Amino acid sequence: MTRLAFYSFIRSNSVKIGLSFLFLTGIISLFIGKQFIEKQKQNITDTAIYQKEYITQNVKFHKDDMGLLLYYLKFSLINEVPAISGLSIGQRDVNPSIKSVTIRGLEGQKYDTDLNNPYNSLLGSLDFSFVLIFLFPLLIIAFTYNIISEEKESGTWRMVSVQSKSLFKHINKLFAIRLALILVVLLLILFLAIPVLNIPINADFWAVLATSVSYVLVWFGICFWVASLQKRSNFNAVVLLSVWILLIIILPTAVNNYLVNKYPVPEALETTLKQRKGYHEKWDMPKNATMDKFFAHYPQYKKYPVPEEEFNWLWYYAMQQMGDDESLESSKEMKEKILLREKSSRAIANIIPTIHTQLAFNQIVRTDLHNHMQFLDRLDDFHEKLRLYFYPKIFENHLVEEENWSKFKPEYAVTAHQINWGESLLPLLLVTALISSFALFNLRKI
Amino acid sequence: MNSEILIAKLFWKAAFKNKALFLLTFIIGLLTVYAAYSGRKNFKIQNDMRAKYQTEARKDWVDNPDKHPHRMAHYGHFAFRPKASLSVFDFGMESFLGNTIFLEAHKQNTVNFSEASFSTGMLRFGEISIAMILQVLLPLLIFFLGFGAIATERQNGTLKMLLIQGLKWRTLILGKSLGIIAVVMTLFIPIILATIFICTGFQDMNTSTDELIRLFFIIVFYFIYLVFFCVIAVLISAISKTSKAALISLIGLWLIFIIVLPRISQALGASIYSIPSKAKFESAIDEAIAKVGDSHNPDDPHYKALKDSLLAVHKVDSVKQLPFNYSGYQMREGEKISTNIYNQHYNQLLDIYQKQNVFSKTVSFLNPFMAVKNLSMALSNTNFDSFIDFQKQAEDYRYDLAQQMNNLQIKHISNEAKNSADKNHILDKEHWEEVKEFKYEPSGILLVFKNEWISFAAFLFWIGLLAFLIHKLSKTLKAI
Repeated sequence: MTRLAFYSFIRSNSVKIGLSFLFLTGIISLFIGKQFIEKQKQNITDTAIYQKEYITQNVKFHKDDMGLLLYYLKFSLINEVPAISGLSIGQRDVNPSIKSVTIRGLEGQKYDTDLNNPYNSLLGSLDFSFVLIFLFPLLIIAFTYNIISEEKESGTWRMVSVQSKSLFKHINKLFAIRLALILVVLLLILFLAIPVLNIPINADFWAVLATSVSYVLVWFGICFWVASLQKRSNFNAVVLLSVWILLIIILPTAVNNYLVNKYPVPEALETTLKQRKGYHEKWDMPKNATMDKFFAHYPQYKKYPVPEEEFNWLWYYAMQQMGDDESLESSKEMKEKILLREKSSRAIANIIPTIHTQLAFNQIVRTDLHNHMQFLDRLDDFHEKLRLYFYPKIFENHLVEEENWSKFKPEYAVTAHQINWGESLLPLLLVTALISSFALFNLRKI
Repeated sequence: MNSEILIAKLFWKAAFKNKALFLLTFIIGLLTVYAAYSGRKNFKIQNDMRAKYQTEARKDWVDNPDKHPHRMAHYGHFAFRPKASLSVFDFGMESFLGNTIFLEAHKQNTVNFSEASFSTGMLRFGEISIAMILQVLLPLLIFFLGFGAIATERQNGTLKMLLIQGLKWRTLILGKSLGIIAVVMTLFIPIILATIFICTGFQDMNTSTDELIRLFFIIVFYFIYLVFFCVIAVLISAISKTSKAALISLIGLWLIFIIVLPRISQALGASIYSIPSKAKFESAIDEAIAKVGDSHNPDDPHYKALKDSLLAVHKVDSVKQLPFNYSGYQMREGEKISTNIYNQHYNQLLDIYQKQNVFSKTVSFLNPFMAVKNLSMALSNTNFDSFIDFQKQAEDYRYDLAQQMNNLQIKHISNEAKNSADKNHILDKEHWEEVKEFKYEPSGILLVFKNEWISFAAFLFWIGLLAFLIHKLSKTLKAI
């Protein structure tokens, strides 16, 4: 009986077309992800080559002035792009994965953007997360909207109710067949992703898989519930499509507008203005005003005498430092504001499965905002490390040729990353359980 | 024409008997109110914020004490991109565009702090604006209204009777389309009135003529866009055997138009034309500058020749004896060379972007959604061209500012000055006020016609296509 039901379902042309369409877009999405990863890799290779060239050339030009040389030299920090991020490009198309900075004030360089075409961001990428979140539900709806209603409409329902011992089991069987088919397509795409994107099979991969399956379950739960209302097919189709539009278009866009207006980030503009003033106004002040603050920040440099001459690199870098020190407060506020945004959106996402799945994906594959904020923190550390390394060499006027410049290669930022299984899966599983229990309640007397 | 109107009237009456329609209209109305409210609020928050910091940045600039002009060239200025007033209607690309750029000598900075860079990832789903409701939700409503227009009559057998009575197919299609249009107008007209009110009424009554013309075109083209969908709904309904089949085809079409095609066209463009990495882009510029003349290279032949010719013309043997500040002169030359080269490279990059976008623009011939999306953004001044326009104005300002400071240095600073920290060689601060404040002037509507001709052509194409289909199908359609 199950076999029969399976074959009669799969024989339909529209089912075959639907499944192949989904599979095909899934495969296309993998290649789009692959292209993204390769582009990022190319960027990293380029950065390494040009950093080397740039250093070599400037070392040649400014061989007797360490201070001037470091005015120009740029050092790159890379936020690694894991292979699995090809599945959900997330915020990585907007937020750069490479930052190149000089040892001058950081706040003036920290937020510089990459080259990108905003039109592409506007239309959005066709990555796996899009296929899963947007397209999978449509096929689930198309496969299940008429499970009870069609038999009622075509008059076979009575036959079924006479023949099968338990109608409830019969319905479950029909849903199970469709769930199995959808899951096969899903797993096929995900397992193909392993060779296409070179994804290591680790916790990240299993987390993406588990989240995807849970998301599919949510939609089956919704369809199961609508079927349990035992209305006409047209009604079911319209209700399910409305739910799709609500969860995919209306709620996320409305929530986005709400958050944008609730948490604007004027701190960003404040920071950028403060760092300019903090640095530049020092040129017009007596040197001691700057040096006192600088020595308070770095007591270890007190041993260097306050320069007498008009211009001196110690004073110059101390002034640059003031740009960062005096914008520190607003920079921190900006960060807090952004984290606040993140917290609110996560809280809202808990009850909206579509948003939740997108955010969970981005978090697992490290393309989320939080990862970028961490990267910026690492950039702070990286920059500080460079400063502390070069400051004494500049202040003591070390010889340029004595430095081993070839060791300054782009570095990788180490960001903390962990998978929170509960946080990723629970909201989806709870919604599924809740909605399925409504359905079971409706079907108790069938 | 009378029978068309009669059919339309009947459709109208039938439509308003449907309670679900009231519910849908109510929901869309509610969403419009929210979209208008949040669009307006965002406009106010952002523009107040940007105006505040623009004023502050200017104040900081003017408040500078007497100093060496080159210090001022480095002090620089900021340009904060103001949001266009029609962005209340269509957010367009706004959220993906940076809004803050630092303008200083020697260096073209990036435009930072786009809304997208602060986004948690939710922006992927889009934003709700009045334009989005008109572009995305109303077509779907039209399809719900119209899927049964003819297919139901066919299923009921009433279609045969109508045709036997001598009703022409053409009349039927036009009449039903007219009916749907009439029903949709009950939403469209209030939405448009609200838009006009919000975009013009709030701005202390000084809406420019340019904005009014833009608004006029927005109304006209959205109207045409919605008519397209009304006709498509009726045509699909006419060729479908059952109303269910019509509904499924229409929903499929909607998904392809709105959800799938835009992303595919984007992916196609981005995969064929690749953007260089930032490292490569910057290094190519450095290399090109080094070929012409690098002011950082002490042995650069270009600057050596420049110096020698200056010394020869003025018949002196060291730059210190020149009647003007040599270092300023050298920097003016350097700024000219580097800016020219940067602009060349940046324009090449913009060309790549344009090539990538050609797919998304030409797909308008397959997809009226893209035609209206592109046109609407352009008319609302929220597209990439408006952004580039801002960036160009900011860059011109930057260049002028740097050269103005160089000229002040050439004219007023002695060759005895050791460097810009030399307190004995400074300039009176009254000169800082001479630099005009940056003010972004949005481009006129004429540019929209030039840049968006593809979208206009796509609209014409769709008008032609649908007229042809009505004509053709009127002859070939069967009653059963």
